[in-house]
Amino acid sequence: MSLSKAVGGRLLRQISKSLTGYNRNISFRIHDDDLTCRYECFFSREDLDGWDIRQGMNDLLGYDAVPEPAVIVAALHACRRVNDYAMTVRFLEAVKDKCGGRVNEIYPYIVQEIAPTLCELGCDLPEGLCYHKPELYLPPQD
Amino acid sequence: MAGRLLSMRALAPRVTLGSAAMSDMKAIIGNREVVGFGYNGQPNYADRSDFPLPAIRWKENTPDVLALREKEKGDWRKLSLEEKKALYRASFRQTFAEFKAPTGEWKSVIGCGLMLISVALWGFYGMKTFVYGPLPHTFEEEYRKAQLRRIIDLQINPIQGISSKWDYEKDEWKK
Repeated sequence: MSLSKAVGGRLLRQISKSLTGYNRNISFRIHDDDLTCRYECFFSREDLDGWDIRQGMNDLLGYDAVPEPAVIVAALHACRRVNDYAMTVRFLEAVKDKCGGRVNEIYPYIVQEIAPTLCELGCDLPEGLCYHKPELYLPPQD
Repeated sequence: MAGRLLSMRALAPRVTLGSAAMSDMKAIIGNREVVGFGYNGQPNYADRSDFPLPAIRWKENTPDVLALREKEKGDWRKLSLEEKKALYRASFRQTFAEFKAPTGEWKSVIGCGLMLISVALWGFYGMKTFVYGPLPHTFEEEYRKAQLRRIIDLQINPIQGISSKWDYEKDEWKK
């Protein structure tokens, strides 16, 4: 009896914690400070390799949010460490796609914030490679 | 889904395929480099906006691609535009703009739909012409007028229906 009560109590606390956390994420901020910090620390690890970066990026882009510029910068540095140029372009394309309908408000801000890093690493925006418009047509395969 | 990375203390373990499964996949994917987890852990390629970085590179590791990779290790500012584009195309099949571009499929959907509707309409016409017999004699104009007169005489639906529209004193329709 007491065991089930204890388990029920823990479950309720876990549910309420996850609910409040979720509300906090989507209410006002693009990203929680905590979340931003953790992803920044993740991408800044020295021993990261391509596999981990891709996992981290896919995860980061799974949130219903545009990543903070600090996280984007950390991810770009990580790509530089593993010497993968294509990944930077793909990541920036995905970030732009994440902006959704408000791309004209959010994307210029992001570009402005990460411009120094782009200069420093020699990365390009997708617009720089003319990849913001379709270049190649391939018949859709499904 | 999204928080699984941070909710674990260690990173997600790499997918360890058995040696038999790995050689099957190698036979399918050829010489392409497996670089990540992808969307389901299998070494496959898909252009998806929800999983932008697939598990394998798009092109196989040919000598010119390998030469580009060597150059990639140096300063990226030294790469020319063509080389940068080649590096992208080596890893990815289509850009976001390309795979999200509208296909115009809706036009063929509407067109085929309308064509099928017209076939159905021809079918109705054929049935009417060749299959159905003549209408009964009760559908003729004279017969229907007589029916209406009888309905009024019997005062069918006198409150809100047809007889309520008939003026019984003047023996004509109400104005």
